[in-house]
Amino acid sequence: MLIEANGLKRTYDMGAVQVHALRGVDLEIEKGEFLAIMGPSGSGKSTLMHLLGCLDKPSGGDYLFNGVEIQALDDLELSRFRNSSVGFIFQSFNLINQLTVMENVELPLLYSGTPKEIRRDRATELLKTVKLGHRLDHYPNELSGGEKQRVAAARALVVDPDIVLADEPTGNLDTKTGKEIMELIASLHERGVTVVLVTHDVWVANWADRIIQMKDGEILKEFREKITADMLQL
Amino acid sequence: MEYNEYIQIGMNSIKQHKLRSLLTMLGVIFGVAAVIAMMSIAGGAREAAIEQIKLLGTNNIRIRALELTNDKKAEAEFKGSIGLNISDVNLVENIAPGVEAVAPLKFIDLDVYYQDKQANSRIVGTNASYDEVINLYPDEGRFISDLDILEAKKVCVLGGEIARELFSLKNPLGEKVKIDNAWYTVIGVMQSKNIRKGKSTVIKVRNFNRDVYVPISTVFNRFLSAELHRTINEVSVRISDQDLVIPSSRIVNRAVLRNHYGVKDYEIIVPQELLAQAQKTQQIFNIVMGAIAAISLLVGGIGIMNIMLATVTERIREIGIRRAIGASERDIMMQFLNETVFISVSGGVIGIVMGALMAQAITAYAGWDTVISIIAVISAFGISVGIGIVFGLYPARKAARMDPIEALRTE
Repeated sequence: MLIEANGLKRTYDMGAVQVHALRGVDLEIEKGEFLAIMGPSGSGKSTLMHLLGCLDKPSGGDYLFNGVEIQALDDLELSRFRNSSVGFIFQSFNLINQLTVMENVELPLLYSGTPKEIRRDRATELLKTVKLGHRLDHYPNELSGGEKQRVAAARALVVDPDIVLADEPTGNLDTKTGKEIMELIASLHERGVTVVLVTHDVWVANWADRIIQMKDGEILKEFREKITADMLQL
Repeated sequence: MEYNEYIQIGMNSIKQHKLRSLLTMLGVIFGVAAVIAMMSIAGGAREAAIEQIKLLGTNNIRIRALELTNDKKAEAEFKGSIGLNISDVNLVENIAPGVEAVAPLKFIDLDVYYQDKQANSRIVGTNASYDEVINLYPDEGRFISDLDILEAKKVCVLGGEIARELFSLKNPLGEKVKIDNAWYTVIGVMQSKNIRKGKSTVIKVRNFNRDVYVPISTVFNRFLSAELHRTINEVSVRISDQDLVIPSSRIVNRAVLRNHYGVKDYEIIVPQELLAQAQKTQQIFNIVMGAIAAISLLVGGIGIMNIMLATVTERIREIGIRRAIGASERDIMMQFLNETVFISVSGGVIGIVMGALMAQAITAYAGWDTVISIIAVISAFGISVGIGIVFGLYPARKAARMDPIEALRTE
């Protein structure tokens, strides 16, 4: 089991009021799974993804990632863990515009202390895989949306993570490019990478093996088959 | 992450914002340049002052006759003081502890002639001890002897500059020079003493190199025979032990005052005291200067902090991205701290160069002495590193403490 979450809670203190973003989520993710998390805005799916991605720590419950108790880690350990085990793909790509494509992809390796030559080789290899071998020295603002997302995918994969977390990866792309990106993500999964996808697009979710539907900070339903929008009606 | 990687990130960021980084540096550049320039001016002035005071001799006490005001003159006449005279020399010799040598000095400004050449000089009537008193000895020949004094011989010892002017390459020893229509045999030529000219001076030091030394008895006979009292201009005393100079000067003062019937028609100059005074003044100057420099560096530092805070705000999203892909709080902190230190150190280095150039320019145009000390350069460099750390710490901490999720949400 890659991920085991039991009674995962996340509460935000907003001064006078407490916002319960997650109200006790039980979730297990197998190695090599392709999971989609669906739900309306405010259902807690982003919060769940941040917890899964070790960007945040739960307020309650247990979270085991590869057998490591995440709550017990301090900032440095958590950062190192995130660095080596998690790859993020964001809706808005989140590339650093001041760095070249190559430097963006190298960045996670910089924080893991990988020597420069190895960084270069690994980044070049991955950028070739996502068909951007000819764009190494370009800056993100010289790329199309699809290309940017492919750079982001290469960056997510560069450290060979245990899990890739994709937050609305097609949200800012047109249908055709969206399809290309989904094909790329699916190909990662085929190669054995564990993928967790957050989306509210049924078409995107249907690429996954398993879909969970969230509402009000809890898991509402779980599907292991293809779904239609009707099935999500509450 | 390796340290040089942090530096790389810092440098990249500066490269991307060249103008902003330069503007940010300006405060430190001018602050450090001012520190270097001021320290070099102060250093130069101090060295000049100390050198001149040392020229007077830190083992010396000088008793100098004062020009009297009419009131003072009346008082002196009434009390019966004739002014500084030979009896004071004998008195000092016997009374002051640690006396090594005492010499009377009588100055007369006259020209010296040799063949068709003329040199304006100062005739100094003195005794056989004066070379010892001022620690300046003849280069060639000999100094005035006791026998010269006793017999009031018409001999003279030339200062280095005078000898060069009158004789150029010729050996002056044994030649006769003419002073006030009388012939004097040259018996010696003094060593040259390095005197600064036209610079910021604390005390006026007469140019020894233009002196012509003549036995005091000869001076009295030739120039003061018509006068009732044979006054002299100065009594120079050399004390063997530096520690005895100040107490000796007190005793000398009391004795001479009594000898002059309580009329203060002389002053006592103790170069050692002047030196201490000069150093004290220097210290005060240093404090004032340091305060001004500190203020300009503080302003520079605040400028850097201001820009860095703006930079952090501007780059919140970048911070979020870096955090998401594995940068720890420490990594982010080091990144921003490095950037600040890099800016301030670059500013510091430019400032040091500018300060040195300013000092050179001041030397060239104003003729002041400037000394750029290694200590000044090292401390300026250290200060700029310090400014980078002190003023970079808060923005860097702010960046590091940012919630990565919040940072990622920022547009």
